[in-house]
Parts: sequence; structure tokens; C-alpha cells
Amino acid sequence: MGVIQTEALTKRYGSSSGVAALDGLTIDVDAGVTGLVGANGAGKSTLIKILLGLLSPTSGDARVLGHDIRTEGEAIRTAVGYMPEHDCLPPDMRAIDFVVHMGQVSGLPAAAARERAADVLRHVGLAEERYRLMGGYSTGMKQRAKLAQALVHDPALIMLDEPTNGLDPAARDDMLALVRRIGHDFGIPVLVTSHLLGELERISDHVVVLDSGHLLRSEATQSFLGDTGVVLVEVIGDAAPDGTPAQARMGEALAARGVSCRARGALIEIDPDRRDGIPEEQAAAVHDALRDLVRDTAADLGLGLVRVQPQTGRLEDVFREEAAR
Amino acid sequence: MTTEDRAGVIHDIGYRPYRGPRVSRWGIITGLLRHGALSTFGFGRSGKAKVLPFALLVMALVPAIVFVGIISFLGLDSELLNYAGYQQVTSLFVIMFVAAQAPVLFTRDLRSGVISLYLARPLGPATFALVRWASLVAAILAFVVTPLVIMFVGGLAAGTDVGEELPRWLVAMGGAVLLAVLLATVGAVVSSLTTRRGLAIGGSIVVLLFGLGVTAVLQEVGNEQGQETAATWLGLLSPFVLVDAVQHGLGEATTSFEAPPDDAATAAGMLLVALTAAAVGLLLLVRRYRGKGSR
Ligand SMILES: Nc1ncnc2c1ncn2[C@@H]1O[C@H](COP(=O)(O)OP(=O)(O)OP(=O)(O)O)[C@@H](O)[C@H]1O
Ligand SMILES: [Mg+2]
Repeated sequence: MGVIQTEALTKRYGSSSGVAALDGLTIDVDAGVTGLVGANGAGKSTLIKILLGLLSPTSGDARVLGHDIRTEGEAIRTAVGYMPEHDCLPPDMRAIDFVVHMGQVSGLPAAAARERAADVLRHVGLAEERYRLMGGYSTGMKQRAKLAQALVHDPALIMLDEPTNGLDPAARDDMLALVRRIGHDFGIPVLVTSHLLGELERISDHVVVLDSGHLLRSEATQSFLGDTGVVLVEVIGDAAPDGTPAQARMGEALAARGVSCRARGALIEIDPDRRDGIPEEQAAAVHDALRDLVRDTAADLGLGLVRVQPQTGRLEDVFREEAAR
Repeated sequence: MTTEDRAGVIHDIGYRPYRGPRVSRWGIITGLLRHGALSTFGFGRSGKAKVLPFALLVMALVPAIVFVGIISFLGLDSELLNYAGYQQVTSLFVIMFVAAQAPVLFTRDLRSGVISLYLARPLGPATFALVRWASLVAAILAFVVTPLVIMFVGGLAAGTDVGEELPRWLVAMGGAVLLAVLLATVGAVVSSLTTRRGLAIGGSIVVLLFGLGVTAVLQEVGNEQGQETAATWLGLLSPFVLVDAVQHGLGEATTSFEAPPDDAATAAGMLLVALTAAAVGLLLLVRRYRGKGSR
């Protein structure tokens, strides 16, 4: 059984003639971490609220953990943990009291709620601070407390709406690592949203890309990230007397040496070596040979080499390419 | 990930899935009800949050303690123990309690955004709103019933006659329940309309305190103009006057206001209208919470 299935899910706010926040969305989410990516207003939060049974869709169907969103909202909300994108913590409560309370509201007996609240607060890294009023928490601590309340009842699925919102880079990395652990070590399927494509590619097994309510792409992260064999080169230096810039000079020189390449922005993109049957152990040698060739070429031209790096597929590119169509 | 890894994880990091029993829907409701009623008195919140409700409660108890003291030490007769009229004596404190503490259960949820967590929990918006309202009813009931209990028990200890006191006391207890229901409805509706605590408090005070004052004045004017029936029905404008009217008309309690209903039928009619108004208020409350889920 899949974790989430939607079928032509459509949501229009207000009058039915308005723009659709979700437009005929059909997706399938399995266990592990699933990233839901999209720009502001793409419909990420709308989708989560519909899946929780808080909003009813204009048309289409969806099932969460096998329950119909239209008729079994209570069963879904019993089994799912939810972390909203905006503030949702009463400032005059201690984190421990609050998480215990949310556990009870989710159906845990009092003793179990106390035990699990302490556990879960430790997992999110609030063991020391749990007796403090949440009004005095930093943004990072608030996000952790929000995550704790979504985990306290040991949900069968957890939906996290922009958990990295407002965090500095270090706290962002911690949060992402935590989300990954929830999906992989805790064994709880995760649906996590972000408008930053780059951060979800690191932690997700599967990525769904939304664009103004449309499904842009839904694929296993591996297919985005596999080594493409493409090498990117960046050079710095003087233009030729005839005005040819450094990058073009480098490109021409590489082509003259039989390397298939082209300009890409300020970079030079070198096509992968397509010769079949290169054994695994020789791949590194081939790569080194190319690197040497590039270095020698740059040296001959008197250009500085800024970088030579293999390109891994990036979600940004996927998004840009698809959106440009 | 292999089974071995998983086991290792469980020992090292210690995430333990929960396999124990879960509480029924009714269990969740009673837990939330208790939590709500207690947080109205500041329990489970900051220490500061307990100051105001308990200060008001103490002030509302002073007259009851004084009455019991007078009867015990000066041996005056038990007519002093006017149970049914007690809430009118302390109405200012009762109103301040409702105005200041209803926002704890409504405005605070909306303001902090925790409402979106509650609505994503099993109960759902309609049940949640009604449980919040019931928590406020319970809290107000505790507030208005405590002095009645002190007077009753204290009076008995001072030698009053149970047979004489009990019927009068029960009428006042019935009145207290009605008062709690009506005040909670007003407090809930007003304080669920805003995310600003000051506005919620001010709004409730205006509705309840001015409602009481205006009703008392209008009833007097109505009587002077010979419009006794109209004056009586104006009692619907304030929960305090209405409860007094119902206690007088249906329970033969002494009245504290100018235009009590002459007969039981009028009192019953007023009660019916008031309960209908409360039901409409609850319906508005539920509708508001239903809409909240989509935010
Ligand atoms: N309650 C509402 N009433 C009317 N329109 C709404 C409502 N909520 C969202 N929308 C609209 O629906 C679209 C999708 O919104 P949604 O909040 O789902 O996007 P999102 O992907 O979560 O964006 P963000 O990254 O900003 O959180 C937006 O155009 C938004 O303006
Ligand atoms: Mg959003």
C-alpha cells in the first residue's frame, strides 16, 4: 500500500472560476523521505491541508494511509503528524507541558504522553531547554518544538511544511539531518516541503516538483542526482587581441584537441566520454586524463583555471529546464 | 537498511515506536476539557498566569466568608444567606473573570496559531470548539459555585436548618449553572472574534458590564413609564438579570432587580429565548472554527 495517492486533485479557492491552487495533481508517495518542492504559491501547503482533511478539494480524490480524505479525516488525523509552516506554539507554556498535551490530544494515555514527550524532545535536541517557556525560544528551537509535537504520538506518516523556514545555514543542516533520520532511522514516512530545491535533493528519496498547482516532475532522487559524466570548467584570464574572451579561447582550444564541449553561461561544459565498456577501475584514470588535458590547455593559453568539476544533476537544473519548456 | 542496522539504531539513538493502547475519542474529549478548564486558572502555564484568576476568585469569596462569619459569631438569622442573589453582589468579579480568562481558551489559540495543530488532531473543528466552550463553562461554574458551597456548608456548621436552606440553595445552584452557560457563550463568541487579547477582554467587559448596567437602568425607566412587561423582557439583555428572573419566576427566589417576571410562564419563556440565543452563539462559534481549518 502506498502512503499517499492522489488522483486528479484540484483545488480552487473562492469562486470556482478562480485560478487553481492545485490543478489535476496525480502523485504517489511511498515510504522514506519525499520532498515536495515548489516556489511560493505553488500549492504545497494547500496539498498538505487537503491530505489532512482540513480543506476539501474542488475535485479529484486522494487516499492517505489507505483512508479517503473526504470521509475518513479523523482516521487520517489520528495517524498523521503535522508541522505547519507558520507559528503555532503558545508562548506561555513550557515545551514539555505542551508536547505532553499535544500527545494526549492525539490519543496517547497520560503516562505514555509524558514518556514520549520527553523522548521526542530529546530526539529533536531540546532535552535541556524543555522546561523553559516557549515564548523565549529562538527560531531554531521553535522549529524543533514544532517538530516534536508532530512526532509525539508516533505517527504512521509525518507531513512537514517548510521545516527549514527562517533557519540559519547551520540550523538548516541540523533540521535536514533530523528530517532524514525520521524517514530512515525512525522508519516514519516523511512528506517535507521547501521552496529551496537544493536542500531537498540531499535528504529525499523521491522528489515531487510543483509549479503553480501543476505536477512538473515526480521522480526518485537518484535519477536527478546520478553522475552525468559532464565536466564543468571555468577559466579566468585575458581576452585575445582580436577580442575573443578567455572562455571562448579555452573552448576553441579544447575543441582543437578533440574534446566535445560548449559554452554554458560563464562555464564550459565538456560532454561525457561516451566510449562504451570502460571498466569501472579505468573510469578514474579517464577522468584524470581529461583533467590533465584541461590544465595543459589552460596553461598553454596563459589562462587561470578556476575550477574543473564533474557535474552531478541538480534539481535546480531540472526545474529550470522543465519550466523553460 | 538491514535489520541489524535498525536494531543498532534502536539501541543507540533510541527512537521507540509506540505500541501501547490509544485513548478513545471520548477519552480525548475529557482530557482536553480538563486541560482547558485548568489552564483557565493558569495551571500548566506560567506562574504569572495564575495570579489574576485566583485573585479574582478570592475577592469573589470575601462576601461569602463574611456572611458565614457574621452568622457564626453574631448569631444573626440565616436570611443573610441570600444564595440566589450572591452573583449580583460579586458580579464585577465574575465579569472580570470571564472577560480575562475566556481569551485564554479562544483568543490565545488563534493568536499563537496553535489552533492549526488542534484542528489537525483527531477531534475536528466542531468538537474542538464545543469542548473549548465546555471548558469555559466548567471554569466559570467553579468560580460561581465555590462561594455558594462555602455559604451553605458554613451556614450548616453555624447551625442553620438543612431543610430550610437546601431548596433555596438548589435554586441558586441551578441559577449558577445557567449563568455559567450564558456567560461562557458570550465570552467564547466575543473572544473567538479577535486575535488581540486586549480587544477580547474589552469587548467582553463592554458586553457584560454595560449590558448589566444598561438593563438595570432601562428596567427602571420601563417601570416608570408603565411598561412593566417590556421591562421584564429587557432582562434578556444581561445574563445576570436573566438568571435572576428565572430564579425568581421558576424558583421563587428573592429578586435583586426592578422588573422580575410575575409568573412562571414568562420566566420559562425568557429561559427558552436565552437558551436559543446561546445555541445560536454556539453555532457561530462552530462555524468560525470550521473555517479556521483552511488557514
Ligand atoms: N485561504 C486561501 N484563500 C484564497 N487563496 C489561497 C488561500 N490559501 C492559499 N491560497 C492561494 O493558493 C495558492 C497556493 O497557496 P499555498 O499556500 O498552497 O502555496 P505554497 O506552495 O504553500 O506557498 P508558500 O511557499 O508561500 O508557503 C496561492 O496562489 C495562494 O495565494
Ligand atoms: Mg506553504
